[in-house]
Amino acid sequence: MKRFSRQSFVMLLIAMLLVLGACSSNSNSGTGSSNTGGSSNTGSSNSSDTSSDEKPVTLTMLVSGAKAAEGEDFELEIFPRLVKEKFPNVTLEVQKLPDEQYYTTVKTKLGAGEGPDIFLVFPKLANMGAIEVAKAGYAADLSDLSFWDRVSPAAKNDMSYEGKPYAVAKGMDILGTYYNKTLFEQAGITEIPQDWPSFLEAADKLKAAGITPIAMGDKDMWVIQFGMYQLAANSVYPTDPEFDTKLQTSETQLTDEKWIKTINQYKELYDKGYVVNGSLGMASAQAAQQFVDGKAAMIFTGTWDLPSLTATGAAEFERGFFSLPGNEPGQPVYASASTAAGYAINANSKNLDVAKEVFEYLFDAESPLFEAWVASNPSISVFNGVELQNDIFADVLGNIQETGNAFYFSNQMWPAGVSDAMQSKFAEIIGGRAVTAEDVAKAMQDKYTELYKQ
Amino acid sequence: MNSAVMKKTMYFFVLPALVFYCIFWIFPIFKLFQYSVTDYNGYVQSFNYVGLDNFKQLFQEEVLSISIKNTLIYTAITVILGNIIALMIAVLLNASISGKAFYRSAFYIPTLFSAIVVGFIWSYVYMPQEGLIASFLEKIGITTWDTNFLGSYSKSLYSIIVVDIWKNIGTSVIIFLAGLQTVPHELVEAGKIDGAGKWKLFRFITLPMLATSVTINITLSVINGLKAFDFPFIMTNGGPGISTNTLIFAMYKMAFTDQLFGKAAALGIISFAIIIVITILCVFTLNKKEVSA
Amino acid sequence: MTTGSLFKKLGTHVLLLALVFVNLVPLIIVLSSSLRSPKNMTNPLNWFNEFTLESFISAYTRMNFPVALWNSVVLTVISVIFVVLFAAMAAYPIARIRSKTSKFLYIFFLAGLVVPGQMVLIPIIQMIKGLGIPLGQYTPILMFITCSLPFSTFLYTGFIRSGVPEEIEEAAYIDGAGIFVRFWKMVFPLLLPVTVSVVITQGVWIWNDYFFNMVFITKSIDAPLPVAMLGFLGDQQNPAQWNVLFAACILCALPLLLMFLALQKYFVGGLTMGSVKG
Repeated sequence: MKRFSRQSFVMLLIAMLLVLGACSSNSNSGTGSSNTGGSSNTGSSNSSDTSSDEKPVTLTMLVSGAKAAEGEDFELEIFPRLVKEKFPNVTLEVQKLPDEQYYTTVKTKLGAGEGPDIFLVFPKLANMGAIEVAKAGYAADLSDLSFWDRVSPAAKNDMSYEGKPYAVAKGMDILGTYYNKTLFEQAGITEIPQDWPSFLEAADKLKAAGITPIAMGDKDMWVIQFGMYQLAANSVYPTDPEFDTKLQTSETQLTDEKWIKTINQYKELYDKGYVVNGSLGMASAQAAQQFVDGKAAMIFTGTWDLPSLTATGAAEFERGFFSLPGNEPGQPVYASASTAAGYAINANSKNLDVAKEVFEYLFDAESPLFEAWVASNPSISVFNGVELQNDIFADVLGNIQETGNAFYFSNQMWPAGVSDAMQSKFAEIIGGRAVTAEDVAKAMQDKYTELYKQ
Repeated sequence: MNSAVMKKTMYFFVLPALVFYCIFWIFPIFKLFQYSVTDYNGYVQSFNYVGLDNFKQLFQEEVLSISIKNTLIYTAITVILGNIIALMIAVLLNASISGKAFYRSAFYIPTLFSAIVVGFIWSYVYMPQEGLIASFLEKIGITTWDTNFLGSYSKSLYSIIVVDIWKNIGTSVIIFLAGLQTVPHELVEAGKIDGAGKWKLFRFITLPMLATSVTINITLSVINGLKAFDFPFIMTNGGPGISTNTLIFAMYKMAFTDQLFGKAAALGIISFAIIIVITILCVFTLNKKEVSA
Repeated sequence: MTTGSLFKKLGTHVLLLALVFVNLVPLIIVLSSSLRSPKNMTNPLNWFNEFTLESFISAYTRMNFPVALWNSVVLTVISVIFVVLFAAMAAYPIARIRSKTSKFLYIFFLAGLVVPGQMVLIPIIQMIKGLGIPLGQYTPILMFITCSLPFSTFLYTGFIRSGVPEEIEEAAYIDGAGIFVRFWKMVFPLLLPVTVSVVITQGVWIWNDYFFNMVFITKSIDAPLPVAMLGFLGDQQNPAQWNVLFAACILCALPLLLMFLALQKYFVGGLTMGSVKG
């Protein structure tokens, strides 16, 4: 850096500006998004069986979850590949983030106006729920898509706002207890527990046999919901199905004794040492690893986690699935089941039409993409005519279909933030702090009152 | 040469920087003040003015006091412990031995890693049962110690503080080493001849000569400690619970997870005030010490 | 040279080596694990029980390393050039002119140090959109420049005041040189040590920044190295993925490490500049 003549400086500036200009215009035309008012999109054809205009298009997709432990991951690998086969000019880029980072990242990006073209949306009032994203204008109205007549009305409604659907649910998810059949046999458990005292007994037998009864990745605090809602489905809703609607009108509060009972039941599992030591420092992926390695007999999670729990681990064993029986002896077991998360399209996407075409392809019953999706989808399909892919859920699903004894995941009817308050406070119990179930319920109610202003 | 015309032309030089700074830094800060008295949630563009509600709400919740406490602990330990360790290492290095460059580089390497990479590596170190510390303890036969670092209410904050110190030791070592090397040898020799012991030498000759580098180093570390965000974000997500929430992290979470931007802005203003007050206190105290040294 | 002081020297070395070892042991394990094949799950403490580049190849492809590296280079170089120019220019009048205005400007810039970027994120985004600036690959540059200004201006001001005597400019002035010429030809070249310092201190944090890049950059082809690392976020908790994760960590840090080894002198000089002169 010797003598910096003024001329060379000015030339450097000009050169840089030129390069900057060239680069930005290159990247714009190359990906089909333009800064001059989206003119490239108005010319695209809207017919759904021919590929869109020849300009190369990159669609970005952001979802939450864990990468498939084995084989190809549907969202990360199969989906983009099949899209490319059908629409050669469309490149689908998928990013999968852990749940917590997913929320902050997708919200930051949507807030910045740079959201992904396709993203994951949850039912009703849940965090990143359909209602929220529709109100904010982030998700595009999907009413004009052709396949809604093949989707179960409940699933469509859970993703709708003011009568219009904004996301296509992946299916129905059931929260349950996966268990290791071999370890159960080893501990002398011959039947699946059908009520709370029997469940505690079974956990005791496991403990006596030197087996860790339950593994939970409480470092990822949202997993606290997994056990809690199964218990709520038995201890809160059967006697009061409209509980959450009553909350909205302040007819009841979360400090109600039914919730105290639920929280105390879940607390019992930790007090009695049934849950693995140090669960607060263990992330869900690690807990899943413990399960597949045969180090713990049970884990509470939902149908969506089937891939990671059936991955090959250090131990070989058959997996089973049952609903956590929070009920009294003699009462029926209620399952916790809800519409699963689904895919939505960014309302401000520069490639809205292309994304819609991809959706049509994805949900077209005859397309190879639909088949691949159904095959890899652990959630129970809500599309007509699709059979249950995974037998492990057959018992619980059969029970639900016969008796209708099921309730949704509570957070879908609470303003986003209430379940976080629950997780946060309950985590203190797990961490051995002097917190009671009443404290947790109070924290939940306080948050509810603060957030439910509408 | 400093005529009025000259001055005016000179001020033009400030323009580019000033423009950037005002548009992208100063103006947004004012916006923050505005949002703190609204119920803006970050994306729905309409909002209402709610007076001091956000502030009142914050003072009632425990997030505020816990974040303040955590941030102060974080700052105090990273600054004090970090600088003492770095100083000790610099002193060791300053002894007339060979290989200074090697050691200096060795300590500096962690600083070159992105916070993300450092966070990943230390998540591994701290993982219960399978991580570095846990495996090591297992190998040497200690099985009873609780290796749950990031998941423990009592240990997690200190665990991430260690990571911060680890990452930044190198810079402090280099700065202190350079400072030590400016201490004139004759002064030290004179002190030795006068019969001063090692500690006295250090306290009355070396330390005062280091005054400027110490001041700047400490002020910058204090400011960085108060702004701590990276490691709670990457390693613990503020948890377990909110036990590793720092002021800035709590604010970020409030804005992006809870969607309460008005409240987050209020928290931001409070944090801002705290940071300024502490920085000013710090600068004054250090300045006084510098003068008296 | 007595045996006493020899012992002392040896002792110091041993102590230092021990400290270095403890300090770097996580990195050593990371290195050893990254050299294993992805499926190798034996205890990481069994160092170096395998030598293969499989994990590196996997990480390399997954991160799209060459593209990410190029993006990092482009972002950092452009940002640093602007920072140097703007800060040096801003420092000139602040350092030379003794007036209330210049004092105010000095404090004004310096005060920016206390504000964390995360705090003003949303207003900044609105500002950017309001100005019609497209959000994309180069947007983080705006933030990098803005955040670097306080410290860089501080460094330049200090140096110009104490290290660049006015006489040099006097001479040029008398020769009839205009103000631009005086600055660029006489003052700026003398600022080389500070420029190095600014380049090093700001360059390193800009290169390693993940936050602003994460917020503003959506397409993976635009992502610089730290953002490419974000794709591995889920893996930090899954022991089964560590070998590849660690390989990615090493790849990410490698460019900067190599630069450091090659330019050590400048790094050290640049770091101490600010404090010793300050």
